[in-house]
Amino acid sequence: MTNSLLFGIATFIYFFAMVLYISYLAFRSEMLGKVASLSLLGGVIVETTAIGMRWYESYQMGIGRAPMTNLYESLVFFAWTIALIYLILERKFNIRTVGAFVAPFPFLIMAYASLNPNDIQPLVPALKSNWLIFHVMSCFVGYAAFAVSFGVSILYFFKIGSEKRSTKPIESFWDSFPSSTALDEIGYKTIAIGFPLLTIGIVTGAFWANVAWGTYWSWDPKETWSLIVWLIYAAYLHARITRGWRGKRAAILSIIGFAATLFCYLGVNLILSGLHSYGGIS
Amino acid sequence: MSADQPAGTAKDKGNDWISQLWNFLASLKLVVIILLILSALSIVGTLIEQNKPLQEYYRVYHPGTVALFLKLGIFDMYHSWWFIACLSLLALNIIACTMDRYRGIMAGMRKNNIILDEKLSKSLQNITAIRYVLRLDIVEKKMVELAGKNFSGKPVVTATEDGERHYFFEKGKYSRLAFFMTHLSILIVFLGAIGGSFFGYKGYVNIFEGETISQLETKAGNIQKLDFQIKCNTFHAEFYPNGAPMDYRSDLSIVQNGKEVIRKTIRVNDPLTFEGVTFYQSSYGGLPDQVAIDVVNRDGSLKGTMTTPFDRRVDIPGVTDKVEVADYQEHFHLPDGVEGGRAIGVNIYPAKGAPVELWLLVDHPEYDRHRGGDYYFRVKDLKMKKYTGLQVNNDPGKILVWLGSMLLIAGIMIAFFLSHKKIWISLRTDKKGKSELKIGGTANKNRDAFAREMEQIILNLKEIS
Repeated sequence: MTNSLLFGIATFIYFFAMVLYISYLAFRSEMLGKVASLSLLGGVIVETTAIGMRWYESYQMGIGRAPMTNLYESLVFFAWTIALIYLILERKFNIRTVGAFVAPFPFLIMAYASLNPNDIQPLVPALKSNWLIFHVMSCFVGYAAFAVSFGVSILYFFKIGSEKRSTKPIESFWDSFPSSTALDEIGYKTIAIGFPLLTIGIVTGAFWANVAWGTYWSWDPKETWSLIVWLIYAAYLHARITRGWRGKRAAILSIIGFAATLFCYLGVNLILSGLHSYGGIS
Repeated sequence: MSADQPAGTAKDKGNDWISQLWNFLASLKLVVIILLILSALSIVGTLIEQNKPLQEYYRVYHPGTVALFLKLGIFDMYHSWWFIACLSLLALNIIACTMDRYRGIMAGMRKNNIILDEKLSKSLQNITAIRYVLRLDIVEKKMVELAGKNFSGKPVVTATEDGERHYFFEKGKYSRLAFFMTHLSILIVFLGAIGGSFFGYKGYVNIFEGETISQLETKAGNIQKLDFQIKCNTFHAEFYPNGAPMDYRSDLSIVQNGKEVIRKTIRVNDPLTFEGVTFYQSSYGGLPDQVAIDVVNRDGSLKGTMTTPFDRRVDIPGVTDKVEVADYQEHFHLPDGVEGGRAIGVNIYPAKGAPVELWLLVDHPEYDRHRGGDYYFRVKDLKMKKYTGLQVNNDPGKILVWLGSMLLIAGIMIAFFLSHKKIWISLRTDKKGKSELKIGGTANKNRDAFAREMEQIILNLKEIS
């Protein structure tokens, strides 16, 4: 299948992008940095083609469905979204050094995805719905935004540590990173992208559940965990906006939020059982 | 969710318990704490499976633990009094916060500071002054044109005694209302959920092909009568070559006063709604309708053949015993665990003595031969009747839930991406006869973006010639 080949190529390009971003961090050559960004962009373009191809091929097989319905497809979509969101932020905030912390995710996720069965299976009746694309897309773009915020929050801790130590004018490895204040702000901005999307994801999910199962909320583990993630980020936003939680405390909440996101995405399918079982490993 | 709303309306710190309670309920600390407690509690409910049959809990937990969990309501914790109490506290918290901030938000929308005087200049951080050689009225005309591009509403113009003219532009005033949208939306969703659970019902019903029902059993265990009848004309299940389900569909008719009002084929994801009651394709199955059974002698010769409907005793030809088809299984497991396929549960009622229960395998006709006795049974023909399993739901609160959800999304979008921007411009002719323009501005959110916007406006204003 052409789509598998393209996904394979995209994985390789993500690998190179990761290596290049790390080398950029080590050698600080502007040239290397540009090549790193370009190769990540190249990976995104190839993967976009791969996703489109998989969609097209599903029609050729007479199945005809959006490529977002099982663990493999959600993983590759997740990797794609993270890379894309990061590239947008990199352009907007000029934070190429952060790439060394974010670029490994698309590669690792693609590599993990390749361990899962990737044949195009037809849809079970419950998934045959126009809500599928809206629901999955908004959830995953939200997840990816939280992932980027997580990477930035981790970096925040390294940076704030080095800023505290650097009373003496010794050149530090962390100097080339954005200031801790900037990282804090970027972490918040990405959550401000992710939170509305997660909200839309939950609401479209409720709407879909109502059409498919006759109940908009059934406290199914996936639903409950998405609510938990929503509550944590809601707490983050309230604490930050109205109580002025910034810096460390905000970064900790962002990290907890992403841990919950990961559990919501993978943990629920791999460990708990429920209505979203088709997302699990078959 | 905006950064600079006056921090509450600074409630006077009364000592009486009512204002203390109020301050507690309206505190932002409480918001964060409740949100985190609710998420922690929700985790518990996903780790301990909810609403399972009791025996399953006994299999997993120690009997003492089961008793304790039962008492605490942990097996149905999302409906337990303490979870509901947390949600109620959240609702009270939202109400208190909303009331607390009402005045501040409304004040922020009022046009009370429309002149760029000294006091206001001090509170705004960057006032820019531009001088022109042009006449004041020309500057004024061009300025209004320029600012009008960014701030489409009509400015408020004030002329002060000293001959200065003051312009006040604003945009996105109503974005301040996003606070009410996001917070009241949660209350609306709650109201919808409560309304649905009090005035609605959920139920389930099986309807055989060709049959009609007019009542069903609800989840709460009550019999719910419908104001109409619902008939299942046909049911179909289709499968992919690999055995995975492809499509389940039921052809349903709604009959009212003896007339068919609606006919629709429902599928998963495509239910039928009539008079507020919605029918969802949920499951399906089948039961024997007519079973033709050969009665065979030990020597293999046929004693006779009987045709029996489901659940009715009939005479066995040639003997005095009676038989009844009482059960059916699609995938019968033999005592050794091997899958035996379709099986019919049969009770034999001898003229004397206790009834005998036995299973006949449709696909292994000689299976009953090993039972012993004077004769054995062989399934000759099996006519099934299929039924469709429908989830039935009447939820008058749903509309509020959707309304609240939409309001929440719209509110969050507005709160994050729009802000209330204000610009003050004052014009005067200075002592040397030059025209002077002073400009200052503020936004309640996204100040970096607003600062860039201001820079551009100032740049454009400087170019007036």
